[in-house]
Amino acid sequence: MLKCVHKTISVGVATLVLTSISAFASFNGKREAVDGGMIYPRANGIYTAYRYNDQNISHFNYGRKPTPNELKAWDTDIMPDGTGLPKGKGTVAEGDELFEEQCAVCHGDFGAGGLGYPTLTGGDRASLTNQRTPGKTDAPKRTIGTYWPKASTLLWYIHDAMPYAHPKSLSWDETYAITAYLLATNEIKLDGKEMDDDTVLSNENFLKIKMPNEDGFIPNIDGPNGVKNVKAFLSDGKNIGAVGVRCMKDCKDDGAKLVVVKDPRTDVNPPFSEVRDLPKKPKDSSIKPGQEEYEKSCAVCHGNDKMGAPDVGNKEAWAKVMKKGMDKVLATAIKGTGAMPPRGGSSYSDEKLKQIIEYMYSKSK
Amino acid sequence: MKKNDKTSTDSSSLVSDKTSSSRRNFFKKAAVYSASAVAASSLLSPVKLSAEEKDDKFITEEQPWATSLGYELNKHPYGVPSPYEHNVVRRTTPLLSSAGDMHAAVSLTPLQDLKGIITPNGLFFTRTHNGVARIDPNKHRLMIHGMVKNPIVLTMEDIKRYPSESVIHFLECPANGAAEWKTPQFDSLQFVKGMVSCAEWTGVRLKTILEDVGVDPKAIWMLAEGGDGSSMSRTIPVEKVMDDAMIVYAMNGEALREEQGYPVRLLLPGWEANLSVKWLKRLEFGDKPWYCKEETSKYTVLLPSGKAIQHFYPLEVNSIITSPCPEKPWTDLKKGDIVEIEGLAWSGKGTITHVDISFDGGKNWVEAKLKGLVLPKAWTRFSYIYKYEGKELMLESRATDDSGDTQPTVNQEKKIMGVEGVYHRNSINTWYVKANGEVHNAQMRS
Repeated sequence: MLKCVHKTISVGVATLVLTSISAFASFNGKREAVDGGMIYPRANGIYTAYRYNDQNISHFNYGRKPTPNELKAWDTDIMPDGTGLPKGKGTVAEGDELFEEQCAVCHGDFGAGGLGYPTLTGGDRASLTNQRTPGKTDAPKRTIGTYWPKASTLLWYIHDAMPYAHPKSLSWDETYAITAYLLATNEIKLDGKEMDDDTVLSNENFLKIKMPNEDGFIPNIDGPNGVKNVKAFLSDGKNIGAVGVRCMKDCKDDGAKLVVVKDPRTDVNPPFSEVRDLPKKPKDSSIKPGQEEYEKSCAVCHGNDKMGAPDVGNKEAWAKVMKKGMDKVLATAIKGTGAMPPRGGSSYSDEKLKQIIEYMYSKSK
Repeated sequence: MKKNDKTSTDSSSLVSDKTSSSRRNFFKKAAVYSASAVAASSLLSPVKLSAEEKDDKFITEEQPWATSLGYELNKHPYGVPSPYEHNVVRRTTPLLSSAGDMHAAVSLTPLQDLKGIITPNGLFFTRTHNGVARIDPNKHRLMIHGMVKNPIVLTMEDIKRYPSESVIHFLECPANGAAEWKTPQFDSLQFVKGMVSCAEWTGVRLKTILEDVGVDPKAIWMLAEGGDGSSMSRTIPVEKVMDDAMIVYAMNGEALREEQGYPVRLLLPGWEANLSVKWLKRLEFGDKPWYCKEETSKYTVLLPSGKAIQHFYPLEVNSIITSPCPEKPWTDLKKGDIVEIEGLAWSGKGTITHVDISFDGGKNWVEAKLKGLVLPKAWTRFSYIYKYEGKELMLESRATDDSGDTQPTVNQEKKIMGVEGVYHRNSINTWYVKANGEVHNAQMRS
C-alpha cells in the first residue's frame, strides 16, 4: 500500500517538474472552482494525490433531528432581509447609557476609538479612497457609518459577540438600544430621518435603516446569481491582482527600487532569538532538595523493590534503615555497601547525599 | 578512554591531515545548512577550531550526557521538545492585536525553524477573535439545518464515526504580510510571512454528511458558526462545500489543539483560514448570504476606488525563501562556499508547478527544484544549490501554480490593489543579502 502511494506521488511530481503547460493536468484538475482556481476530481487513478475509500456507501444516518426548542436556541442569526429579526426595542438615549457602561471602555467615548480597539464612529465615506502612499498620511476610515454595508450585521454581532468579556449577556431590548445609539452617532438615517435621543429602534422599523456604504462592495453577492458573480469575479485575475508574469530574462519592473526595512519593529514577544541554549530556570518550589539528584542517580535501584535496595515508599524498609541514625546511613552511602558503589556511583558531596537521603526517607514515611 | 582516542584519531585524519584548511571550513559550514549538498559533510563536526585549539574538546573529552544516566523515559508522558529549542516558538506583537490584548490577536509561526511541509501542532499560527475557547467535547454539538430535508444534531462520537480521510493542507490568515503593504516593517521571516502553517488534517468530507441531510438545490450558501465567545461566523458557497470541504477533528495525528478549534472545525482547503470556522457548532443552508461581521467590516479588501472586494476566498499563489532569511543569515559563509537556498511555496487555487529564484531583484530568474511531496493546496518545498560569491544580492522567489497564476511583483499588485486593502497580499518578497552575509527584509517597489 505504502509503495502504491509513493508511486502515485512520484508520478505526480515528475509530471509537474517536466512540463509547464501540461502541468495543468498533473492531478487531472480543471480550472473550474468557484474561487477561480482548480477542481480536482476524486478518483483512485494514479494521477490523484490521495487514495480514498470509494466503496459506494452513503446514508449513514448518524445523529438525530434537533427539537424545535434546540433550533430556536441556536438559530439566532439575523439576515439583511429581516429573517431572524427578534422582537425588541430600545431608544438612542438608552443605548447611550448602555454604551457608556459596557462598551466605551474599549471603543472610546461615542465609539470614537483611540484605545486600540476598533473605532466605530467618525470619518466620512470619501476617506475610503485614501491611499497612504509616500507623502500621504490620511488613512481610510472604516467605521459603521462609512463602511459597514448592513445594519443587521450590527444587531446580530452585538448580541452574539459583545460585550467582549461577557458575550451574549445583553437582552434584545438592550441590543436594539445600543444599535440605535451607534447608528445615531454615525448619523445614519432611519426611514429617511435623522435619529435623536428619543428615537425608538425596534423590529418594526429596523428594515428602514439605510446604510450609507451599502453599495460599496463588489462583486454583487445577492440574488440567485450571487455565487456565479463571485466565481466570475475571482476567475478574472485583473480584479484581484493576480497578474504576475513568469518572465525569466531582462524582466521589466518600471521604477522599482530596493527598499530595505528601516528601523524594523522589535516589539515582539518573546524577543527574537535563534540561540540554542537552556532556558533560565524558573524556581520550581514543588521540587524538594535532593529530589532531582535522587531521580537522576538513585531511583534506578531505589525506585523499585526488585533491586534489593531499600525502595522509596516502603515504610518498613526505610524505618529499619533510619533506625541506625543519619550519620551511619550517610557513612554507608559514602562508602557503598553490597551492590551499591560509593556514593551510589555519583560524585555528589556529603551534604547533597544527606539531602537525597532525607528526600528518600520523606517519601517513605 | 580507548574509544576517545579512536574518535580523536578518526577526526584528525579526516580533518587535519588530509584536508586543507579552507576546504575543511567549507565542509563544516556546508554541514550546517545542507546535508545533501556534500556527502562527506555529515562525518565532520560543524564546530570551528580556534587557532589555539588543536582538537575539538567535545570530541576528545567525554561529555556529561555520556557519563551519566539520562532521565526516565516516562518523565513526560506527553513528549516535549528539547529545552535547547526553547526559542522556537510562536511570537506575537501588539501591532497585530488590540492594544496588546492577546484574546483577539494573532501569533505567528517561526517559519525560519520549520522543516519539511508539516507544522508541529504547538507552532501552528493562531488567530482568535474572543480568546481560545475551552470546550468540553462531551458537551459539544454540531447542528446542521436550514434549507435541508433532514436537519441533524451530531455529537463528537457521531462525527468521528463517519469514514475518515486525512489530507495535507495549509491554512493562511489572509492578513499574512499585512504590515508590509506600504513598506517593509519587520526584519524577520516570522513576522513577514508567519501567518501560515500546514498540517495533515483528519475528519469527514462534509459532502458525506450532507448526503444524509439532503441539501435543497436552491440553497447556494452555507452559514458556518463557531462555538466561541465571538460566535465567529462566515457565509460559504455550497459549491465549495460540495467540492473539498471537511469537518476535521484531528491534526498531525492527534486531536485538534484548542487554538485550532478543539474539538472540531471546518476545513476549506486553500481559502482564507478565517472561513475554516473553529469550534464549529452550526451549519445553516440558505439561498441568501448572511453578511456576517467578519465578511463585511473585516476580511473585505478596500481598493483605491473606494470599493471593497467581499467574499475574496482563495489565498493566491505565494512563496518565501526560508533559508537564508533575516533570522538565518549567511554571515558565516565565505566566497566560494556552496549553500542551499530553500523555501516554501503554496497556492490556495491549486498545486505549485514552478518556483523561480532571482538574485538581482527580479530582473533575471533561474528555476528552482521542487522537493518532497507536491500536493494541491499544500506547502511545497523548493531548493536551489548556490555558490556563494560574498556580494550583495536581492534574493527573491516567485511561485507559479497549475491554475496559471504567478506571483505578481509589488508594483503589479499595488497598481490594482493599492496599499490599504490589508488582506490577500501575495507579491514577491525580497531578501536583501549584504556583502557580509546579513539578510534584511526588503521590497522592490516604486
